[in-house]
Amino acid sequence: MSSHQKPVISLKNIYTAYEGAEYPVIRDVSLDIFPGEFVIIGGPNGAGKTTILETINGLLKITHGEAEVLGMNVSSKGNNIRKRVGYVIQNFAFDPMTPFNVGEIVLMGRYGLIGPLKKTGEKDINRALEAMKVLKIENLKDMPIGKLSGGQQQKALIAQSIAKDPEILLLDEPFSNLDLLTREFVSEMLGEMARKGCTIIIVSHAFDALPDFDIRIVAMNEGRISLDETCSPDEVENKIRSISGEIQNA
Amino acid sequence: MLEFLISNNIVCHAVEAMLFASLSCSILGVIVTQFNVSSIGFTMAHAAFAGAAIGMFAGINSTLAAIAASVLVALLIGPVGEYSKMSTDSILGVFFGMTMAIAIFFIAYMQYLGMGMSATALLFGDVVSLYREEIYALAGISVISIIFVYLFYKEISALIFNRKIAEASGIPVKPLYYGILFIIALAVALSLNIIGGLLLFVWLVTPAAAAYQFCHSLKSMFIVAPAIAGTVSVIGALAGLAWSLPVAPLTAIMITSVFVVSMILSPKRKISYRKPY
Repeated sequence: MSSHQKPVISLKNIYTAYEGAEYPVIRDVSLDIFPGEFVIIGGPNGAGKTTILETINGLLKITHGEAEVLGMNVSSKGNNIRKRVGYVIQNFAFDPMTPFNVGEIVLMGRYGLIGPLKKTGEKDINRALEAMKVLKIENLKDMPIGKLSGGQQQKALIAQSIAKDPEILLLDEPFSNLDLLTREFVSEMLGEMARKGCTIIIVSHAFDALPDFDIRIVAMNEGRISLDETCSPDEVENKIRSISGEIQNA
Repeated sequence: MLEFLISNNIVCHAVEAMLFASLSCSILGVIVTQFNVSSIGFTMAHAAFAGAAIGMFAGINSTLAAIAASVLVALLIGPVGEYSKMSTDSILGVFFGMTMAIAIFFIAYMQYLGMGMSATALLFGDVVSLYREEIYALAGISVISIIFVYLFYKEISALIFNRKIAEASGIPVKPLYYGILFIIALAVALSLNIIGGLLLFVWLVTPAAAAYQFCHSLKSMFIVAPAIAGTVSVIGALAGLAWSLPVAPLTAIMITSVFVVSMILSPKRKISYRKPY
């Protein structure tokens, strides 16, 4: 990415620890990510992939180093950052009787942006509807979220994140519940968002459906970055596989 | 307030107290049950109970002491949970045991000293010997609960749906959580004299649980739960006083019966055998 651009994410020698853990999960990580980049974070289980996402949006405590996202300090402005950064979580399981329908869930994506004591307006509702249309789930608007399949729930959560018009979108295993056609469709949609300037960062093990432009790979191992390079979508799987193989053989 | 409907002052006060206590507890109960922290209600009720017992022992206003104790526990739940690295439920269990022990200790000690402790009202409620100020306070907390839910509905709903998603959306989860605990503490402490420490849990959990059987949206639960609790509590108060039965236990049984019926009739568990064509 062009060096004259200011990074939207700037991590400098970051260490992140979970409460009660003896050692930090993320160790001495430095990373600059620029507007409109499409980044895939790979690596074996426990490498720190989810942790790095939650470090970026300030959900986890940074013990050492400096982190800036959208020009704001992550440790002190975490809540303001989260209003402008979308995050699709990895593990979700909704009670079949949970009293929320898809429309409400997608609208929730805008709640932080709207702020306390203010009601949702027409603009918010329209934006949520547009997000549902993009994900082709507008017909599920009134369905209870708990009654949907894993893939439909996943699409609802992605729609929730894009409803807030994020400047950065973090996705943790967004393809895990999706079939191949839907993966291709969601991937293309994310690619379109990146073309429009939204920074996309995905933790994924599925590389069979990637957008048709250069992708930056950040491979993690034991909390450190073991590979950081940009390649074509066809090369992504091999690069991640080779680095994972090297890690296993090490 | 309801004198124009009920001429007998004692009955009128009892109905008003039961109505307002049930409104605030059941509205907050929707949050408590949907947030899967039903033990909060239980712990707060016993904290208020312990506070009232200490208040009686020390010769200070028992309602104020109950409020202070439940607010203190509300403020301690979060930090103690974070510091001890234990689940909220385990922390609530610790507080529950501690507050119950404190309450029983003071009641037993006062009986030993021959201080004539009226613990029955704290345990099972007393709707007859109420001060007007207590009813005004209950009306106040009902209004505060309604306004709180109205103003912060979107944040509360996101928090109930998924705490992590709510936090990731930029909702200030921690202050909201403490705000909820604070209002629950106030509602529980003010309702203690009317409903009793052992029965408060029924008002906090059961109306919301009954509403859950029918409601597909959180919004409707916030309407149905207080409607059930308010209606049954007014009927319970009138019936209890008419037939000289203990009002709070009678009403608790009635609310539980409503839950059982709603569970049996719940459309949420019905399987459709209709064919699409």
